[in-house]
Amino acid sequence: MTEPGRATRTRGGLRVTGLQAGVVMAVAAVVAGAFFAVRPPDAYGICMACHGRDLVAWITNRTAGTRFPVAPVSLVFPLLTTVGVVVGAFLAAVTSGEFRWRRTSHPTRSFVHGFLVMNFALLAAGCSTRLLLRAAAGDWLGVAGVGAMIPGIVLATVWLRRRALR
Amino acid sequence: MTPVIASLVVGLVIGFVGQRSRMCFVAGIRDFILVRDTFLLKGLISFLAVAWIAFPVSGLVGGTHVGEFGRPDLVSVALTALGGLGVGYISVLANGCPFRQHVLAAQGTAGSMVYLGGFAVGAIVFHAAVYPLLVGWVL
Repeated sequence: MTEPGRATRTRGGLRVTGLQAGVVMAVAAVVAGAFFAVRPPDAYGICMACHGRDLVAWITNRTAGTRFPVAPVSLVFPLLTTVGVVVGAFLAAVTSGEFRWRRTSHPTRSFVHGFLVMNFALLAAGCSTRLLLRAAAGDWLGVAGVGAMIPGIVLATVWLRRRALR
Repeated sequence: MTPVIASLVVGLVIGFVGQRSRMCFVAGIRDFILVRDTFLLKGLISFLAVAWIAFPVSGLVGGTHVGEFGRPDLVSVALTALGGLGVGYISVLANGCPFRQHVLAAQGTAGSMVYLGGFAVGAIVFHAAVYPLLVGWVL
């Protein structure tokens, strides 16, 4: 889990800092769009919500005959970023000895969180990652999305802390 | 198939790096507020800064230029801001941004696997019901 402020975290395997991860992800996102045709739309190199939507909607369209919209780049075959992330993270977890089954006591809550985040992300046309990417690409809508996302994070954090201290 | 293979490779790389770093696009701000920890906040800022530089640079060295985005209308700005606010707020309650949830699910966290189920259902319901309703209200 992502406990705040936990400094020591690795048992083995490659160590990557947050800063390094940010750099790698930014370069990967831009290079995918500029050199490997992961577009249109622009600034679409990484989006965990839109690419997931492309995959789910494409499969549903093919199997159930629906006509849910997918991004132009995913029309012929959907982008597999989300699948890659799961496989890549699984390999990293297994090779470092960090894979561990963790049960949940609130499955309904997790489901609702996922459901709501996907809806808000599709409304904004981007998950937290792509909103930042769009802002960096010079899209004013991306700037608006990030500009609203930050107060959203701050509000929720302050609310969580208040609830914890009461 | 180039974009499909590229997206798979990008996913593998960032998934691996994301697991090793615990990278999350909301936890950086959360950790800074709660305990003044900047480990993930540096990731957020470096992502933004490097992408901001890499977009024009990739155009200069032969990559496809990012097109003009133009001036957005007020309705788009409002809807995007509402979406961003919701993504930020609920992602903190969910204990991680969508990217982090994929990584957590891959390392065995059942709650995040359920989250991804809600994610998939959410995508279908958004296009089947939420978006049509919204268009009916706004326009």
